Amino acid sequence: MFNHVGIIEIFAVIVFFLSFYGLITSKNIIKSIASIGIMEIAVIMFFLGIGFFDGMKPPIGANLENAADPLPQALVITTIIIGITICAVNLSMLITLCRQHKAADWDVVEKKSSE
Amino acid sequence: MIQIFLVFWLISALLIIIDKQLVHLIIHLGIFSMISSVCFFLLAAPDVALAEAVVSVFTTIIFIVCFEKYYSLVDVSVVKDSKGKIWRKLLPIGFCALLAVMFLMFIPDVPASIYLKDKYITMFAEDIGGENAVTAIYLGYRVYDTLFEALMLLVSIAAIIHLSWHEGKAQIEEQGESGMGNYRIASATIRIIVPVLVLFSFYLMVNGHISPGGGFQGGAVIAVLFICRYIIYHLHDVKIDRIIILEKLVFVLIAVVVIYFIFLGAGSWLSLPGEVYLLIMNLLIGVKVACGLLVMFYRFVIYERK
Repeated sequence: MFNHVGIIEIFAVIVFFLSFYGLITSKNIIKSIASIGIMEIAVIMFFLGIGFFDGMKPPIGANLENAADPLPQALVITTIIIGITICAVNLSMLITLCRQHKAADWDVVEKKSSE
Repeated sequence: MIQIFLVFWLISALLIIIDKQLVHLIIHLGIFSMISSVCFFLLAAPDVALAEAVVSVFTTIIFIVCFEKYYSLVDVSVVKDSKGKIWRKLLPIGFCALLAVMFLMFIPDVPASIYLKDKYITMFAEDIGGENAVTAIYLGYRVYDTLFEALMLLVSIAAIIHLSWHEGKAQIEEQGESGMGNYRIASATIRIIVPVLVLFSFYLMVNGHISPGGGFQGGAVIAVLFICRYIIYHLHDVKIDRIIILEKLVFVLIAVVVIYFIFLGAGSWLSLPGEVYLLIMNLLIGVKVACGLLVMFYRFVIYERK
């Protein structure tokens, strides 16, 4: 059934939806933020896995025979730096929330902010 | 080979999701980042592997600072584990599994397009220069990505400064203990390691166009260097305002260099080779990323800590 999909893509999709599960079920906000980070790395793995075959070499050097695709790698390097900024902004928002409500659980924060 | 590491990767992701103890998150995130870095390396992407390895250090430190703040603010003992019905736990699992299977089924059954790959790999050496195809793409063919990434970094720093609690007043309390400066092993190690890190970061930036590495990785190494210095000596002598001004200036410089070399035709007035452009851009991006990460870190540590 999944013969046309490589092993790397299958693992990346599994980890993506695993972190999606963590995002929608976790009680704590810190865990949700960590899940977003995992999601991003799973997407990166999916991008790098497309069109990869065993025995490919890095696209660096003078002899570029049988080299890996450089385009997803170039796209993904900027994504990594963006990911860390997303993480930092999320955590600073979380600390502000902790100061206001003295809690970092979704249920407690929801209850306190509706009062 | 890669299959083994992919299994470990999946297990470490699973550990992050299912572990009840919140503090274990830091260690699991470190393991996850390390294994994904190894996987990227095995996928013939050394640039991405280097960036991930360097950036994971930064993520871990930010999480440590956040946990320190979290446990001092939140009364953890109040939180109790609520017991739900069994179907309420099974429903999300089934939903996510269904989504994953559907996603895998709808991936089209065609081989990946290699038109752009062939074009880039055959043309980049004469179009842009250098020997690293990845650097040539993100500084040449897709320079808009890099420009807007730099802009995004500026915007996120503005967001962090806005969200930090002590608005405007820089109150830095003198801490009683002076970090780990009293431990002679730690302070001796940092003295040995600092020159090596400086050399390594400049190596990454200067050799970015002919070897794995580049501006992003070198800048992150510089930021890690300052973080090491802070962890050992607890020095607050860095002026955040000046770093922000420097970052804005470097962003303008990046825009100017891109306009001169790319939009006006590469070096038509001064016949400069493409390597000079790659070298200048790598250095500027390195300074930019280092400034951005440093502002984030100091904002977190100084304003969020006490």
